[in-house]
Amino acid sequence: MKKLFDRVWDGTDQMVELAEKALAETIAELGESAPAVMPNTAYNLSCYMAWLGKEIATLGDLKAAFAEAKAMNVHEPRLGNVFEAGKATFLAAETIEACRYAKDPDPYKGEYHGHLTDAEVRALGVPLVTGDIPGFVVIVDPAPSDDAAVELVKGYQSRGIYVFLLGGIIDQLKSKNFAMGIGVRVVPVGPDPWQVCHVITVVHRAAMIFGAVKPGDVEAFDDYSFKRIFAFVNAFAPVRDIVVGCGAGAIAMGFPVITNDEKDMWPVPKSLLIQPDVDAFIDTSLEARDIKIKITNIDIPVAFSSAFEGEIVRKSDMQVDVDGSKFDTFELCRSRDVQDIEDHKIELIGPDFDKFDAGSAIGMGIIVEVGGKDMQTDFEPVFERNFHYFINCIEGAMHTGQRDVLRVRLNKDAYAAGFRAKHFGEVLYAKVKSEYEAIVDKCQVTIITDPDTLAKERAEAKKIYDKRDERLGSLTDESVDIFYNCILCQSFSPSHVCIVTPERLGLCGAVSWLDAKATHQLDPNGPCQVVTKERVIDEKVGLWEDVNENVSKYSHGNLERVSLYSIMVDPMTSCGCFECICGIEPLTQGVVIVNREHGGMTPIGMSFPDMASMTGGGVQTPGFMGHGKQFISSLKFMKTEGGPARIVWMPKDLKELVGAKLNASAKALYGIDDFTDMIADETVTEDPEELLAYITEKGHPVLTMDALV
Amino acid sequence: MALKGLDIFKLTPRTNCKECGNPTCMAFSMKVAQGTAQIEDCPHMSADALDMIAGATAPPMKSLAFGTGDAELKLGGETVLFRHEKTFVSRNPFGVNVNAANVDAVLAEAAKIDYERIGERMRVDVVNVEYTGDKDGFLGAVKKAVDFGRAIILEVSDAAVAKEALEIAGAAKPILNGANASNYKEMSEVATAAGVALGVGGASLDEIYTTVKALEEAGVKDMAIDVGSASAKDAFANTVQIRRAAIKDGDRSFGYPTIVNVGKIGGGCSYKETGLASLFTLKYGSVVLMSSISYAQALPLYGLRQNIYTDPQKPMTVEAGNYPLNVATAASPCALTVDFALTYFIIAGEIERSGVPVNLLIPDAGGYSVLTAWAAGKLSAGSIAKFIKEQDIEGKISSRDLMIPGKVAVLKGELEDSLPGWNIIVAPNEAVSLVKFLKERYA
Amino acid sequence: MSFTKSPQVFSSKVTEIEIGTGSEAVRLGGENTLPLYSFDADTKNPPLVGIDFSDKGPDTDIPGVAAFFAGADTLGAVAKRASEAEGASFVCFSLNSADPNGDDEAVDVSVAKCKEVADAVTKPLVIQGSGNAEKDAELLGAVAEALSGKNVLLMSAVEDNYKGIAVGAVLAYGQKIAAESAVDINLAKQLNVMIGQQGVSSDSYVMHVGNAAAGYGFEYVASAMERIRGAGLSQNDDMLQAPILTPLAADAWSVKESIAPEEDFPEWGPAEERGINMEVSTAMACLASGSNAVILKHPESVKTVAALVGELV
Repeated sequence: MKKLFDRVWDGTDQMVELAEKALAETIAELGESAPAVMPNTAYNLSCYMAWLGKEIATLGDLKAAFAEAKAMNVHEPRLGNVFEAGKATFLAAETIEACRYAKDPDPYKGEYHGHLTDAEVRALGVPLVTGDIPGFVVIVDPAPSDDAAVELVKGYQSRGIYVFLLGGIIDQLKSKNFAMGIGVRVVPVGPDPWQVCHVITVVHRAAMIFGAVKPGDVEAFDDYSFKRIFAFVNAFAPVRDIVVGCGAGAIAMGFPVITNDEKDMWPVPKSLLIQPDVDAFIDTSLEARDIKIKITNIDIPVAFSSAFEGEIVRKSDMQVDVDGSKFDTFELCRSRDVQDIEDHKIELIGPDFDKFDAGSAIGMGIIVEVGGKDMQTDFEPVFERNFHYFINCIEGAMHTGQRDVLRVRLNKDAYAAGFRAKHFGEVLYAKVKSEYEAIVDKCQVTIITDPDTLAKERAEAKKIYDKRDERLGSLTDESVDIFYNCILCQSFSPSHVCIVTPERLGLCGAVSWLDAKATHQLDPNGPCQVVTKERVIDEKVGLWEDVNENVSKYSHGNLERVSLYSIMVDPMTSCGCFECICGIEPLTQGVVIVNREHGGMTPIGMSFPDMASMTGGGVQTPGFMGHGKQFISSLKFMKTEGGPARIVWMPKDLKELVGAKLNASAKALYGIDDFTDMIADETVTEDPEELLAYITEKGHPVLTMDALV
Repeated sequence: MALKGLDIFKLTPRTNCKECGNPTCMAFSMKVAQGTAQIEDCPHMSADALDMIAGATAPPMKSLAFGTGDAELKLGGETVLFRHEKTFVSRNPFGVNVNAANVDAVLAEAAKIDYERIGERMRVDVVNVEYTGDKDGFLGAVKKAVDFGRAIILEVSDAAVAKEALEIAGAAKPILNGANASNYKEMSEVATAAGVALGVGGASLDEIYTTVKALEEAGVKDMAIDVGSASAKDAFANTVQIRRAAIKDGDRSFGYPTIVNVGKIGGGCSYKETGLASLFTLKYGSVVLMSSISYAQALPLYGLRQNIYTDPQKPMTVEAGNYPLNVATAASPCALTVDFALTYFIIAGEIERSGVPVNLLIPDAGGYSVLTAWAAGKLSAGSIAKFIKEQDIEGKISSRDLMIPGKVAVLKGELEDSLPGWNIIVAPNEAVSLVKFLKERYA
Repeated sequence: MSFTKSPQVFSSKVTEIEIGTGSEAVRLGGENTLPLYSFDADTKNPPLVGIDFSDKGPDTDIPGVAAFFAGADTLGAVAKRASEAEGASFVCFSLNSADPNGDDEAVDVSVAKCKEVADAVTKPLVIQGSGNAEKDAELLGAVAEALSGKNVLLMSAVEDNYKGIAVGAVLAYGQKIAAESAVDINLAKQLNVMIGQQGVSSDSYVMHVGNAAAGYGFEYVASAMERIRGAGLSQNDDMLQAPILTPLAADAWSVKESIAPEEDFPEWGPAEERGINMEVSTAMACLASGSNAVILKHPESVKTVAALVGELV
């Protein structure tokens, strides 16, 4: 078997030889002082410009520079030499084409595109640099069949990938009357491998125009093409040595080569991939170059819009009723290895909706599997929680509940329009891929209606939910290295900054540490930023230098210090969205907590709106603090002042909501059973004197604590 | 540094006696800190505590009241240089300059302006009567100004004339503006005798500062500073530096309201005066005087002032109710949005642009924007249904089309339940799409 | 006892950017003081006033505007006349006909208009797109190409199209752009950061942080601008130091106060007077809050505001 290195060198030698010959002939014909320029470009012979820093004007210049190009072709088996040889191949190719254009400024007469003008490069470069065109492919030589050629190019077109063609595949497409040209983003560059230089110059010119890379700065060119130009090569069998030489150049620039040629071919991870199945070329290629395709439309027979979010499907209008109270239901987002996911696979296990009578209740399970190199299991629940919103935006569908107790309804109109089980999969696929584009590379969805599978998978899902709860329980402020801030509310509360920690969710109750983490990952410039916690001032009070600096920066200087665990010392500010407010009740030296929904008075003599008017707007008000409901049972709640044992009064509804967890915390912290029974509510009293009497009778722990004020 | 509620609470007797009208001492203290209750309301505070609180809560800039009855105006009392830091407190009155020669014409024009904008009555707030050497004419103009019934500034630096003018206008509690380095003793005597505030001016900031200091030492408390009218540049420089010295640098000798006379620095051009009056509305003019005010000038200026003096935490609201637009009738469709004034104006503006007759329904939504109101539970299917019932919309309007903001599309189903017979339509998310939406649907 | 002045001069400054070419090129920004505080330190480049006109021709509904442009019957002539307006330092050409929800004029037609305008004036040129993010991405890229070398300012790049405009106008053709966000310091900053990530240097873009007419929520504009300037100057936030450019003609001339016919509100007087006052008032409020340049429509407003800036700075 011929070694890959040898194939590269043989290929380079062939190209160099052709160039040498062309150059000699052309100079013989036109003389050394004849111009060697491509039309309509300020970056003439950009391979020479980029890699050798040479400005070529005449055939004489080209001849001198070509000597340097040849010197790059060193046959010593080191990786660097192979890459240099690859670039030398391109330089030689450019030399051949320069000779051709020297003789005739329009050598291809419309049959092939050949050289691209600067204007064409800019027009292609802008969307390429911005990512609107996700990348481009260079396809070399004929596909195994004309149909395969058409399929492949169509596949790239439908994904927005720009296509350059070289060699026989152009004739294949012509025979199928396939439209080609700059306008349709399928460019027949030329019949021979050396016209590849017209594609390489696009990369160089993009780097100089858009990246301000200076001619001759080879490292910067390599860096730019690797980081900013998402290109790759598809080379069909049999791959000639001269193409292998070009391939080495492509790989040197960061562009992987994918081929179906298995003979004398040596796979190189991420660079040279052998994919015998031409149907799989696109997936293999995109994955090799890390190209993600944006999802823009959702393939369902009904509309999808937030305008349908509040739609209710009533019993009389119901075609399908997924009823978690009677049947097994669940929805689950699960991460898997990217390799194990087939992107956009939507599978239905069990009968489809047309197998059930109209209006009948059924069970259903939804598994959305996602993969990506930045995917973390911590993001699963964050994505999963949005399934509710995604499904509700379907015209004619309604979704309530979460995890393994769901109610999903589909109305008759949607059904009549052709909406079936797999369409839930289409929606979830499209939304998960587009909303979490930065994280999710691949996604597949399984919809289950088969009762046995459903029972089995629901049990599996339960295990995952339990694991998540366990993980949540083990997430403490001490167990993580960073917190996050959240400035989502600054549009109306400009000086407020939330610090979100595992044990202290945002005061709106909607942003947990995991949410903040995912938000940050998805949108690194967005509303949630990392807060380090390296320089402790006082861990008991929850004071860190880092946190203070962060708050100062993100409040634009309005706040200098914020403590995380105290309501007396620099308590955290509020935007106004808080679910609850706690405030000091001086007679008992405890705190009263009141939630937004509670309309009545509190023993402090202030109602929720009274207290809200003092604590909102990013103002520090010692003794009062806005917070989320779930924070009440946190071990960090008022830790500095003694913790939840300070709570003396809460509305009854709130007590019921957080009671179990609060009791558990009180048990863990103080060894007290049924702590919530010691807490008064509106049915006991709204008067401070009576409150004191009540908690005295109950032996409330606050009575033995130090005074707050 | 203002006192926090808890600091004030520590000074109270903690008896929850309720004599202040609040259920608890804590509730009272929080209100004092917030500025919505006065510490004097508590009859049980010790003298020491009162002094301490008064000192700590006194703003770095004094407030000053002048005018009487419904013409009374409050100036100053500002605590911040930028409204986003807390809020601006005393909206700057706009006034007109009159003298013996033009008093009738200017007042006649000024009288025309009287309208209401988002709950605020807009009119010329101040008449500045300038003494130009004709004493009888001046006194006559003062008399006319008194009869005009707005707050008055007497711009006169002749103490004797000032005394006579105050005999006419003293009961209207004007500001006597005319003290300077050479006459401040006499002028302050006249002002003190009449019980009115004194306006102090000078050729430079230094001179003004020195004069104010001297007056302070003489025990004069109620003062305003005339920033001068040498040029727009000087007036602006003085106004900013005076306010900055008071609030940022804590120099209380510049902690007085300012009088800016753009009528004198606008070069006789009404557009320039409008521009300068706008500038000083944002930047620290406590009273802004113009050579005259037309409706065309008042409309932007009063609107701008209303905006700038809105408390950032208490947005302007419009009254709940039905606002028929484009001559809407009972048969015209209804659209609903929140009572936050900005939202109302934007939505009403877009509907007006569409030309489609619409009954714009505004429920009480706490003055929040749509999403905030929804998140705070102030805009829910329940609250909308309650509003429709309370306002008897179903009795007054026959159309049953109700457009709701796209951002609260989630309410559609619930609304259908709570408002049987209504056709709930989800309108676009953004106001800019409204014209197209309405035209397509109803035109 | 004399008063001790304590000028507030910051160690940071507003970024200076240049638009236009040759002797009439203008510079925005560069100051290290709060807006118009020339008593604290030299305001390096006093705020500028630009005059706006639409590709649909001057607004002949307004008598003063109609009179000013009378006789200018080609776009080039209109542009030239606009550039001669007293007080105008630059010209702003608005491609209203390109709006896909309106006339939806083809890009090449708009581009041809821009060329005609550019050929007619020597003053710096600002081009406002259709206001539709998707259309502007294409349109402004094409304009950038057509006006290559003129150093024009294109507005606006918004969250939905900034990539194409940043790359297509600034990187590809060296033009300047305005980054437009909706009256919010964090949104403004986020957009600046993202534009920077495309490789656009800080001297290639200005901010358009939103606007409102006086009385129509201007408090949000004032506070957004003041906070942005505060963050850029006192906290040295280099992502908020770009100059602010505020086109306000459309806002000022669309509110009820400016357009309601005199018949409906006789006591208000002629609409044109109201419009000019509204435009002048809004412009001065913007300049006081932090705008480094404003774009107005009425020649009288342009003259007034430019004269006031001259007197103040």
